[in-house]
Amino acid sequence: MAASSRRTVITGVGVLSPIGLDAATFWRSLREGRSGVRPIRAFDASALPVRFAGEIPEFTDAKNYVEKSQRKSLRMMARTIQLAVAAAQCAMNDGAVDKSKLVPERFGVEFGAGLIATELPELADAARVSTNCQPGRVDLEKWGSDGLEVIQPLWMLKYLPNMLACHVSILHDARGPNNSLTEGDAAGLLAMGEAYRILTRDQADFFLAGGAESKINPLSLVRQCLFEQLSRRNDAPEKACRPFDRNRDGLVLGEGAGVFALEELEHARKRGARIYAEVVGFGSAFSPELQGDGLARAVRSAMNEAGIGPEEVDHVNAHGLATKASDEWEAQNLQSVFGGSNTPVVAVKSSIGNLGAAGGPTELAASVLGLHHGLAPATLNYEEPDPACPVAVTAGAPRPATRPYVVKVSFTQMGQCGALVFRKWSSQ
Amino acid sequence: MKMRRRIVITGMGAITPLGQSVDAMFDAQLEGRSGVAPISHFNARRFPTQIAAQASDFDLGRFIADPVRWKYTGLNSQFAAAAGQQALVHAGLLDLDAARVDRNRFGVYLGCGEGIQDFHNLMSLIARSYVVEERRVDAPTFVRDGLRELHARQEAEQELHTTPGHLAAHFGLWGPNFNCLTACAASSQAIGEAAEIIRHGDADLMLAGGTHSMIHPIGVTGFNRLTALSTRNDPPQKASRPFDLNRDGFVLGEGSGMLVLEELEHAKRRGAVIHAELTGYGSTADAFAVTDSHPEGRGAIACIAAALKDAHINPSDIGYINAHGTSTKVNDRVETLAIKEVFGEAAYRTPVSSSKSMLGHLIAAAGAVELITCVEALRRGALPPTINYETPDPECDLDYVPNTAREKRARHALSNSFGFGGQNISLVVSRFEE
Repeated sequence: MAASSRRTVITGVGVLSPIGLDAATFWRSLREGRSGVRPIRAFDASALPVRFAGEIPEFTDAKNYVEKSQRKSLRMMARTIQLAVAAAQCAMNDGAVDKSKLVPERFGVEFGAGLIATELPELADAARVSTNCQPGRVDLEKWGSDGLEVIQPLWMLKYLPNMLACHVSILHDARGPNNSLTEGDAAGLLAMGEAYRILTRDQADFFLAGGAESKINPLSLVRQCLFEQLSRRNDAPEKACRPFDRNRDGLVLGEGAGVFALEELEHARKRGARIYAEVVGFGSAFSPELQGDGLARAVRSAMNEAGIGPEEVDHVNAHGLATKASDEWEAQNLQSVFGGSNTPVVAVKSSIGNLGAAGGPTELAASVLGLHHGLAPATLNYEEPDPACPVAVTAGAPRPATRPYVVKVSFTQMGQCGALVFRKWSSQ
Repeated sequence: MKMRRRIVITGMGAITPLGQSVDAMFDAQLEGRSGVAPISHFNARRFPTQIAAQASDFDLGRFIADPVRWKYTGLNSQFAAAAGQQALVHAGLLDLDAARVDRNRFGVYLGCGEGIQDFHNLMSLIARSYVVEERRVDAPTFVRDGLRELHARQEAEQELHTTPGHLAAHFGLWGPNFNCLTACAASSQAIGEAAEIIRHGDADLMLAGGTHSMIHPIGVTGFNRLTALSTRNDPPQKASRPFDLNRDGFVLGEGSGMLVLEELEHAKRRGAVIHAELTGYGSTADAFAVTDSHPEGRGAIACIAAALKDAHINPSDIGYINAHGTSTKVNDRVETLAIKEVFGEAAYRTPVSSSKSMLGHLIAAAGAVELITCVEALRRGALPPTINYETPDPECDLDYVPNTAREKRARHALSNSFGFGGQNISLVVSRFEE
């Protein structure tokens, strides 16, 4: 395997999160230890067993993030897609990217995305005309003859998971490689890793890469309540997401988007870009249903590629899902790699919840921005260590970053794992 | 030329509307048979489109001894399990320990379509909770009824990442695990990116391919609203007519195609049978519109050219093109244009056929099944036809291998997949030569 001389750097960060609609506010909130988890406002959640989440109530649409001439296309985008579009524009702004200087064929887009629930009213007329309000049964002939035609023609396109990357590519004339990864909670981080690989193999010079997700709607929340282990701490939402803490009781949902401008180094230098960090390693592995060492293998693979050992890592930016089983398994895997160096561990979900496909990139942004300011973010709600989770979680205030490397991990509960290593940029 | 790890195909499996094995599927294509028939999966009698190419009489139990894992999954996941099993058996890799293969170096990359929604329950829930006068859904009603009526395991299995997770867990493939859903390009993209994972050295083997089943009320509804589907319900077998003047849209198919991609030296060391080599991969975006391809095919042109460049071959080296060929007015015209733009005069000497004329459009699974078709075409020296080719379209004037299969010993084949939303993927597959 030939070593490539091409290097990948992070030149722009776009974040829309429950603790801030831009990277600067996001970082400030983290520094100040603020939580974005609150009682749900988007709809009447009173009938749900879980009535809080990490929401972005101030975000209604991406109108302010696109040119006037492009606003019409917003009508064809679900909330998740609009979050993606907004964050992508933020990354371009943050990176001071002059689009006229980019070669479209060398401009790629990679997004992690999840299942996007339909907005229920859009199917309501069709449903009513064909169900006679009988539980559980649609009269398919009525649906075909009368229901179908009252559904708006472009309905399906509003909810396809590849539309995050497609709309972003159209808005920015990005004609290079374009992929939409649908790998649950690992999707966003894997998308960044794949973008890094494509840049390395000289098929693009610039990427918008990241993820977006919004599950804060009745259908998605019903589904999540049915099959996920969610925290039930309705009386104290801000304290609910407690990664690695002994009294954690489940995950907390959040919504948002994290998008990075990833760029080949010489390309970035030529345009005088401000460089946050360099991506130096990526690994991916599988560990069946949270048994085994898949996460450790992904991490070691990424670190080997970066040519570093655990003693050079400032902190691990964990997945920190905050369920009993997931945190235990993660801690064991991290311990096997970092235990000897007692490397600090950070869990950003404690502040914003689990953003799904947006989680990896948004949490990564915390460390990228943190290190840019010389600080490693801290974890909220870590009050009592759990002997079953032998990791050195940084609680309280952010601490000075002492080393240049950070390892970010994401994984699904089925066992799909990703690890990304970056190095803080210092002019060389 | 820089040294690069070479990728060969050592196993294949397929569940399709033309047969539940690679051989059955390809034999049927050579015979020019159509898998299209009236929809039987659900009552589609009053839908604009009432036909599809179904993988009928499918029973996972015939392929996997104890399919308990898939009990609450949709057909898409089950097709993938069956095709995956076939591919691994074909490659001699069902028992990795016996084959002395490191499972940490064997990953999975799928283009996997979404699972199947609980349509009846969901629509009923929406109807009952809708407050007509206010044009809004009453959330507490929806929530209360939904928590009671939706099925937890069935809902969990609809999450997009479950299928590659099930495959990796069941077959013990612990390497890199990825999944993408770039519409009609998905499984081609999965195969191309899986090859790059091996090339980079992150794995030595990848189970790559795709699966999809959209022949259900919400799938047909969605495409009918977009006017993307043919409404030529009678006779069903004549509806899918790529490149024909009277084509009026695609016909939905369903199924799965899976391939074992393997690094060449690894394959040789274990004495694997090599069926073909994956030699080229191109990936571009139209960046034009979510509803239409670029009218001059700029994305398709770039992606075909990129695949040929990656394979280090000239257009005239391509002996067969398996087109995206959906049978829509726009795709077939634009794809023809793109082929001519890249191939020049050689376009008129290169046979082009569309498997979708017989299989229908397998959406996320199309690319994988069509690549397998290319491998078989190279191996068996025979090109499948484009059936239902009755009236030439002046804008589509290439040799589409009309109606009858043709003997030809091609050395390289090109497979195109152009996804809704503008993602374009082209793959080149070649006879293996040292």
